[in-house]
Amino acid sequence: MDEAAVQDIPTHDVIMIGAGPAALSAAIYTTREDIETLLFERGVIGGLAAVTDKIDNYPGFPDGVEGLNLAQDLQKQAERFGAVIELGEVTAIEDEGEFKRLETTSGTMRARAVLIATGSDYKKIGVPGELELYGRGVHYCATCDGAFYRGKTLAVIGGGNSAVQEAMFLTRFTTHIDLVVRSTIKASDVLQQDLQKFVDDGKITIHLGTITDEIVGVDNAVDKVMATKDGQKVEFKVDGVFVFVGLSPNSQFLKDTPVELDEVGLVLSNEDLQTNLPGVFVAGDIRSGATMQVASAVGEGATAALKIREYLEGRAHPVQN
Amino acid sequence: MPKNITIFTTNTCGYCVMVKKYLTAKGLGYEEVNLDQSPHRQAEALSLSGAMTVPVTVVTKNDDTREVIVGYNLARLAPAVA
Ligand SMILES: Cc1cc2nc3c(=O)[nH]c(=O)nc-3n(C[C@H](O)[C@H](O)[C@H](O)COP(=O)(O)OP(=O)(O)OC[C@H]3O[C@@H](n4cnc5c(N)ncnc54)[C@H](O)[C@@H]3O)c2cc1C
Repeated sequence: MDEAAVQDIPTHDVIMIGAGPAALSAAIYTTREDIETLLFERGVIGGLAAVTDKIDNYPGFPDGVEGLNLAQDLQKQAERFGAVIELGEVTAIEDEGEFKRLETTSGTMRARAVLIATGSDYKKIGVPGELELYGRGVHYCATCDGAFYRGKTLAVIGGGNSAVQEAMFLTRFTTHIDLVVRSTIKASDVLQQDLQKFVDDGKITIHLGTITDEIVGVDNAVDKVMATKDGQKVEFKVDGVFVFVGLSPNSQFLKDTPVELDEVGLVLSNEDLQTNLPGVFVAGDIRSGATMQVASAVGEGATAALKIREYLEGRAHPVQN
Repeated sequence: MPKNITIFTTNTCGYCVMVKKYLTAKGLGYEEVNLDQSPHRQAEALSLSGAMTVPVTVVTKNDDTREVIVGYNLARLAPAVA
């Protein structure tokens, strides 16, 4: 590309990929330091926190905080200092030395520093019926789709924090939930104690050691879940299924780039949260070694922002726009 | 500019907020049907979208043709309201 064409590419001090808690926190720090910052968000501003009913363990909220409210407050705070959030997706990163070149749904852009804060998305179980009935009885977002199950029955598949938390949330709509757990419940002790109350009330029945085999549909709607327990076939007659069996990292767009990933697709970094590409940083759930909590994502965002400032100070002057 | 826009939402749905934010940023008005407040309109949302999910955005064009967008899908929403 000739010099004139390169000059025409919009150039920013920092581009943050994602606008979940990690990036929004980082943006509060960079913009307060007058570092011009653009965030790209392809989904919901606030990330997974924005689609979580209630966050009970984020410090400073003694009664917990609704995920959507926390997300909106983080956004307001970042925007107050000048962060700009563009609704769109980053599809590739290329290293051009002092600048990183990003392909986005709003065209090509350049940045002096980049923060990868793309988090993760819900994993599928991969059984017959799951894909075919998606949105018509198979769901991954309780806060979005739970309201369709007023007075109905559900199966929730999974046994981790998310599955238990979301199953309890869904009881506000449903008459009964079968919690189908492959091995044992892995949720925290506090959540397990809360869960027990719903079990005692007959709202949730737990099925441990139960492997989901198929989601069966009739007339384009869920009819039942087929599973195996102790080598025996079992079935759950339900109106819908919510799947919470873990998360898969949003790093597909990095596969053909020099950014190093670990064996599960999380981004590797050093103690400065910098990846193997100088000027490209990482924070939050997408970072290899992250603890997958809002509080830690926010903390990592702040750390990454301060390291980005150090990095930029060691280089050319920030962009004047 | 479309003739009118209706969004089916619920109280807790983050993706609904995004659709509303996008339309507001574009200076477009819309009617909101909150299914937590009006559960009797749930069947309407389902029959329009074929899916048990929100947001469902119904864009009525000036020639009275309708486009239904399920979920927060900018690739479809943006051209539909352009
Ligand atoms: C059901 C559930 C319940 C939870 N409950 C709790 C809890 O009680 N307490 C707690 O501390 N944590 C909880 N968590 C975890 C918490 O939500 C995450 O740790 C936190 O949201 C991570 O923040 P993040 O910014 O790293 O990533 P995310 O929140 O995942 O945000 C990343 C954002 O990047 C966007 N993105 C991805 N790829 C691209 C791209 N290429 N271009 C543009 N944008 C992109 C995504 O759309 C997303 O919005 C819960 C998670 C789930 C799923």
